[in-house]
Amino acid sequence: MSEHRSKAAELYRTYGPVVYRRCLRILKDPEAAKDATQEVFVKLIRDMSKLEDRETVVPWIYRVATNHCLNQRRNVSRRGDDLDAPPLELAASSGHDTLPDRQLVQGILSRFDATTQTVAVGVLVDGMEQEEVAELLGLSRRTVARKLARFLDLARHHVDRS
Amino acid sequence: MTARCPSDLALERHLLSPERSTLAGHLAACPACAARLETMKRQGEEFLRFVYPATVEAVEAAAERPSLAKAWRRWLLLVPALGGAAALLFFLARPAAPPDDYLGVKGGGPLGLAVFVQEGTTPRLARDGEPVAAGAALRFRIRTARPCHLWLLSLDARGQVSRLYPAQGEGGALVERSADLPGGAVLDGQPGPERLIALCAPAQLGWTSAEQAVRASVGAAGPDAVRHAVTVAGLPAGTAQDSLLLEKRP
Repeated sequence: MSEHRSKAAELYRTYGPVVYRRCLRILKDPEAAKDATQEVFVKLIRDMSKLEDRETVVPWIYRVATNHCLNQRRNVSRRGDDLDAPPLELAASSGHDTLPDRQLVQGILSRFDATTQTVAVGVLVDGMEQEEVAELLGLSRRTVARKLARFLDLARHHVDRS
Repeated sequence: MTARCPSDLALERHLLSPERSTLAGHLAACPACAARLETMKRQGEEFLRFVYPATVEAVEAAAERPSLAKAWRRWLLLVPALGGAAALLFFLARPAAPPDDYLGVKGGGPLGLAVFVQEGTTPRLARDGEPVAAGAALRFRIRTARPCHLWLLSLDARGQVSRLYPAQGEGGALVERSADLPGGAVLDGQPGPERLIALCAPAQLGWTSAEQAVRASVGAAGPDAVRHAVTVAGLPAGTAQDSLLLEKRP
């Protein structure tokens, strides 16, 4: 086995569980999460040096896996199979109890860019602090707050209209 | 103890480096977080037992690509990534446009791939199986009868499948009509056959699926496999395909 292959296998063993758990959390389906985990890691392994940086690796993995799996959900939704995609659960700690129901949040997500999607999911679904999301995405806390506010505005606008 | 429950990201960090974690106090006092952590551990075991064995080979194969990528710089460089003035000049200047009627001539299928080779100063249309300079520059044109999601890739005698277009993204590039593809490629200077394959699916097609379908259709690596691998099997219904063989001469 080449050095690259064995190093990749070792990194996959270490960080694969992080990707798998993230995909499982978003996709809610072990088979879909398995496929997504492989696809995400194939992307990650192309930048092996980044995977070996223990200080920054987890937020990076988290960000790539989140984007990938949110895209998967969006694609499923576009194909009209969204009945098969269980809704994302809002975190109890998100502090946004007045949000529209989670199906609506999910529907609105796809109207936003990938960064805003990650912000919304990070805060509302994962219950992350805005500072944590800012660190994850390499954004300022203010930008995260602004993107979240825009997302919530649109969500509430939809509630009002419906 | 942390007042607010930690996020999954914080728990992931805790699992990877418990010795550096500050969450132990909270986890000891918060049954909900302790239960969440146990679930995450169980999912990690599930990964190692079922997911890892089934997928590690694809990850290992992908890891070989960085070393290939070094050769790839000699072999195949997409223009947007080049950034070099000379390369940009070459591709953007397009000293001669491809003949407009070519794609109407080549076959009557739903997808047509035309490859233009520049070995000297003038690009010319490549014929299937034609010998070309091993370091020739290429441009591509696609003809499609209907909008579809395109992957353009290549297969060499070592069995390496390489992504040519689109350079980024996962579902393939939406092509709505016949078009010259932006960018291009430069052959690596290694003699041998190289097959350029265009796949165009009615819905988004993941890169991994496209790559695996090509690998599975080729079977064993080798020059003959490249020369004879004309049809890629195992693609979603309605996926159109076309390919063209180039023989890189020394």
